[in-house]
Amino acid sequence: MTANVIRNPGDVSALEHQRQVLVHRAGKIVPVVLLFMLSMVVIAPVVWTISTSLRKGTESFTVPPRWLPTDMAIENYEEVFRKVPFGRQIINSTLITWGTVIGQLFSASLAGYAFARLEFRGRDALFWIVLATMMIPIQAVVIPVFIFLRNLGLVDTLWSLILPAVPTAFGTFLLRQYFLTVPIELEESGLIDGANQWQLFYRIYLPLVKPGMAVLAVLSFNFHWNEFFRPLIFLIDNDNFPITLGIFQLQGYMMTGAIAVVLAGVVMSLVPVIIIYLFGQRYLIEGIMRGAIKG
Amino acid sequence: MSAEKKMSRRDLLKLAGAGSAGLVMSGLPVTVIAQDAVTIKVQAHGLDDNQLLPIADIMTARHPHVSVDWVVLTGIDHEEVAAKILALVAAGESIDVGYAATEATQLFAGQGLAAPLDDRITGDPDQDFWTDYFADVHPSLVEAMMYEGSLYEPPRDFNAANMYFNTNTLAENGFDVPGPNWTKDDFVEIARGITKKDDAGNTDVFGYAWINRLWGSWMPWIFVAGGNLYTEERAPGGDWCWDGYYEGDPAVEGRGGGFRWRTPIANSDEVVEALQLVVDLWQEGVTPDIEMGSGATLTGFYATGKLGMTPAGGFWAGRLKNEGMEKGDFDVQLWPAWRNQKHQFGTGGHWLAAGAKAPEEGWEFMKIEVSREGFEASPFFYPVIITTSARRSYSQAANYESTGPANYEVFYDTLDKHPSTSPIPAPPWANPMTTIFTTGTSNAMSGAMSPQDALDQMQAELEALTARQPQYYADN
Amino acid sequence: MTTVRGAAEIGGGLWHWLMQDTMDGLRRRRAILGYVFLLPTLLGIFIFTAGPVFVSFGLSLFRWNIFKPPDYIELANYERLLRDARIAISFGNTLKFTVLAVATQVSIGLILALAVHRITNTAMRYYFRTTFFLPLLMSGAAVAVVMGYIFHKEFGPLNYYLGLLGVQQIPWKTSADWVMVTIVITSAWRNLGFTFILFIGGLSNISQEVLDAADVDGAQGFRRLWSVTIPLLSPQILFATVTGVIGAVQVFEEPFIMTRGGPGNASRTAVMVMYEHAFKDIEYGYGSAIAVVLFLVIMAFTATQMWMSRRWVFYQ
Repeated sequence: MTANVIRNPGDVSALEHQRQVLVHRAGKIVPVVLLFMLSMVVIAPVVWTISTSLRKGTESFTVPPRWLPTDMAIENYEEVFRKVPFGRQIINSTLITWGTVIGQLFSASLAGYAFARLEFRGRDALFWIVLATMMIPIQAVVIPVFIFLRNLGLVDTLWSLILPAVPTAFGTFLLRQYFLTVPIELEESGLIDGANQWQLFYRIYLPLVKPGMAVLAVLSFNFHWNEFFRPLIFLIDNDNFPITLGIFQLQGYMMTGAIAVVLAGVVMSLVPVIIIYLFGQRYLIEGIMRGAIKG
Repeated sequence: MSAEKKMSRRDLLKLAGAGSAGLVMSGLPVTVIAQDAVTIKVQAHGLDDNQLLPIADIMTARHPHVSVDWVVLTGIDHEEVAAKILALVAAGESIDVGYAATEATQLFAGQGLAAPLDDRITGDPDQDFWTDYFADVHPSLVEAMMYEGSLYEPPRDFNAANMYFNTNTLAENGFDVPGPNWTKDDFVEIARGITKKDDAGNTDVFGYAWINRLWGSWMPWIFVAGGNLYTEERAPGGDWCWDGYYEGDPAVEGRGGGFRWRTPIANSDEVVEALQLVVDLWQEGVTPDIEMGSGATLTGFYATGKLGMTPAGGFWAGRLKNEGMEKGDFDVQLWPAWRNQKHQFGTGGHWLAAGAKAPEEGWEFMKIEVSREGFEASPFFYPVIITTSARRSYSQAANYESTGPANYEVFYDTLDKHPSTSPIPAPPWANPMTTIFTTGTSNAMSGAMSPQDALDQMQAELEALTARQPQYYADN
Repeated sequence: MTTVRGAAEIGGGLWHWLMQDTMDGLRRRRAILGYVFLLPTLLGIFIFTAGPVFVSFGLSLFRWNIFKPPDYIELANYERLLRDARIAISFGNTLKFTVLAVATQVSIGLILALAVHRITNTAMRYYFRTTFFLPLLMSGAAVAVVMGYIFHKEFGPLNYYLGLLGVQQIPWKTSADWVMVTIVITSAWRNLGFTFILFIGGLSNISQEVLDAADVDGAQGFRRLWSVTIPLLSPQILFATVTGVIGAVQVFEEPFIMTRGGPGNASRTAVMVMYEHAFKDIEYGYGSAIAVVLFLVIMAFTATQMWMSRRWVFYQ
């Protein structure tokens, strides 16, 4: 390239053209390279988690750091199942998480629609009440909630985690924004076609916010799959425990458990969420794309 | 099936109601009760219930009508376990048998959650059992489980703060594992001697490291310097135990009915001096930056040969084994002497809930936990030791054969050879006290405050905290 | 019989009132439907959140150690709160964290989304979308171990690589000057996925015609970004900031697992100090008072944001 430039020093327009091409190419390549480097930094901790879960204990923390698995110590994974009923806990986590996600999709799509498209007395006040519930840290209410759950006879059941999580301020807010983006003209034409109110919601609006529901599903799945504090307080029998508690049990009495075994548990707990995300990603991207979010 | 059992219980009540005291005395009702299924709820601390199965099996074998329902408590730290217990208490959800370490013993006793055991022990027809048990357990552990004259938990395990060595690091620098009579100055010499720095002045191998928490942080230095966070007063009482089970044992001299920690002395000269020592080592680069928390990274770096010495107890033998260290790679010694050689420990055991639904069965379970049979089946001591046995008999060569350390005798010698050894300060408000302690420690260890300033602030905060507390100790 | 007929008549009347084919009837039907649709959410919130919240907030007027019945002490907890130095520090830290964390995760998420959006290669887009989202999937237990190692001053990878560049070891977790930075980085790392994905979606939603029109007007490069793209993304930016602030003010997990609030009180946050009082000091009433104040702070923040948003959020 440089040689080319020297050979035709007089051809200014060609030179300028080449410069522009170079700038254009650099403008495309440089950000990608930078982005790639950044992505390496972002996933480095995840990579380290996976590779350390496959190492012997004495190799867990090394200086300089090692990023690739060295020992392929599969026994760490076997140890997880020896120490805690991990299979059972995976089933519990699955039930809790799916129960919550499905319940949230149901309740939040109804409530989101009501807040976005129906008019009734006290709507704005009720919306702020719902929003306000997001502003209370769980640590502040965990004891009264626990007492309520006990009065309902739900303590130490999976329901104690699912039921209180079903009403979701975040999900309602999110889906409200999606319903708001559906053009009002669709509703009018639906009414002209003789659709009743339920059909309007179910046949016209709901299919259009499916992507928003996918967003909610992925985020909510991830949140509840990783939840620690509520299960810690609400569950008693470890046959009911989700894997987050199982992983803490792996740390053992006075932290005498091996780090590599804990990380093996972490890696196994990551697999389902990653699968959900990969499945949901198409919807997720499309979902947020459709939801031009309004305040 | 359960209806039938209920019938038999009702029959029994009728019998009892008829005033057949003779039946009760003859022990016959025990066989009748045996028909009636009882489930006891027992707090499983840190282990999973399938690991605890051997102990439940002994209970069921001895008392076929009893099944054990484990309440598995797990958490990052003591405070999460405490959060769960508090939630259970608030909701009136009962457990029959709990487990507590020194940190929570006086809290549960002081709030009436745990029941005193004195009468159960002295009135137990099987006195041979208790004679054998107390003969096997050092009185300082027992005293640490007392509150205002009564015993609330028969000690099951304990951990004293001893010094662990990476033997390879010591050997590379020409040091041997020191003897039991080593001093603070010997310690400083070894710590400096094994510290390795690179050309940039960064330390590559640290002589000494610790974790910022209550037990085994720089607390052992406070003890050997002759200080403490609170004065160690003793409540009266406990004679039923010392006279009844330890007669003639010189180790019970001066013991009372449990400690009263109520006068803070956190900024005394001894404590300042102890903090100055660890701050100096940090500034010299002998000690790395001190972190809060679980110590997972510290164990990891110890296992990879980056640290030479650290305070830890018997539980570390199992932990290092789990981390893949080989027997012989590490060893242990008593804490070095300074003004004295007073060591510190934390102990743990099961307590009987004052509101237990099945107190008799719960009590039987507690006895099994501390019986020889119980220890021989306990997952805390087999296959690897993950905490030090409170019974001397299970702190022997055989128990450390697979893990090491070679100097395993040190664990129990901390008590037997140093009767002045006492528990970490743990008044009923030990949890907020710990927050104040670790906060003040990190103020000094990050260079934000001088040791004197950090401790003056700690003292003021401890005084305010202590003043806020309800009356936990009798003659206050 | 008469009652049944009466009821039927009233029911029929109601039905007629509701179903009449007028705008009024329609409005009534839609209003009723609104309440019916909200029922599951509102019922759940009243049972499982609002009820306990009222109990908790009510307890802020009591001294309660859980073991014994509560003592009514009027506003004493609030008076104490105003004089409590540790509370003031924790709220200050929380404010600092909120500003830094929300600014970081929103701006970096935005920059990454803008960069990834320009990539046309499907495989690469898939790769970037996945990698930037992955940290969000890591649970607290994993973050505690991994970040404990990465930010370790003497032996951690971060200082190791910085050392190769000649940077002195940074006391990430153990110095009052750095610890908030560390907490913010960790939190931004975890929440990056959320803002990133949100903005990627927003960008895809901006029609090419709008951008072409901007080109015709001579808006290119940063000018186009500033005057066209960012205003079009403002609804997403609002959503990310509102939910980001609500979450950030309640920050607990990162400092709790990484530093326990230290060194000193440098990373102690509002929820942490509330938790410590409620569960360690067993002063549940006092903890509740802190929660009430925190709630009012978040409410004020959110209301301000929503109100300000009228000035800068642009709807397509």
